Amino acid sequence: MYMNTRITTYGKITGIAGQNIPAPGIPDTDALRTWLQQQFPALAQQTYHIAVNHIVIYANTTLPAGAVVALLPPFSGG
Amino acid sequence: MQKKEKTFFVNGPVSPAFIADSIQKHSSKTGIGAHSLFLGQVRADVVGEDVVTAIEYTTYEALAITTMHTIRETLFARHAITCLHIYHSLGLVPAGEICLFVFASSPHRKAAMEACNDAVEQVKQLLPVWGREITGNGHYQWKENQPV
Repeated sequence: MYMNTRITTYGKITGIAGQNIPAPGIPDTDALRTWLQQQFPALAQQTYHIAVNHIVIYANTTLPAGAVVALLPPFSGG
Repeated sequence: MQKKEKTFFVNGPVSPAFIADSIQKHSSKTGIGAHSLFLGQVRADVVGEDVVTAIEYTTYEALAITTMHTIRETLFARHAITCLHIYHSLGLVPAGEICLFVFASSPHRKAAMEACNDAVEQVKQLLPVWGREITGNGHYQWKENQPV
């Protein structure tokens, strides 16, 4: 079985899904996106990247046990 | 070349005194012949009938630290600079105050000017920071960066 996934959100995603999302064990980031969209339909209109263990990922990635996952909307510093 | 990692987040606005002090600290580095500075200031944008009075900045610090390290490595590889300092605000910055301070130095002007511009673009594109614009009526909207 996969361990539960810890998800933290940032920027405007926090307003949609809350700062911390308790999630069941999810095998990879594609499955995570599908699960998130089911839980928070408003995310379908949002652009965001996923970071796994503090690294932004750009292709489907396995979620290792105890992974630290972050949802990152477009940056707007400066 | 100086590549020492430093604290780069500032709580609240970057003060003019801090900027002046940063310039002063370089007077002993006499191999430097040019400084190029960029100061990002919070704009009082009009939003409908409301006006932005401040921006509140947040970050994903663990990712920001590694990203800033990468940005610095990239810039030192691309430009013949002597040193580079980047400071970004976190928390509330009122309109008219400084939220981003980039300071590039080199023996001759071209490298400093190009590195400064490059650093600003890298920060805006890559640094995981989010700005929430707060208006006079107490509403807010998430800031979106413009291409240039």
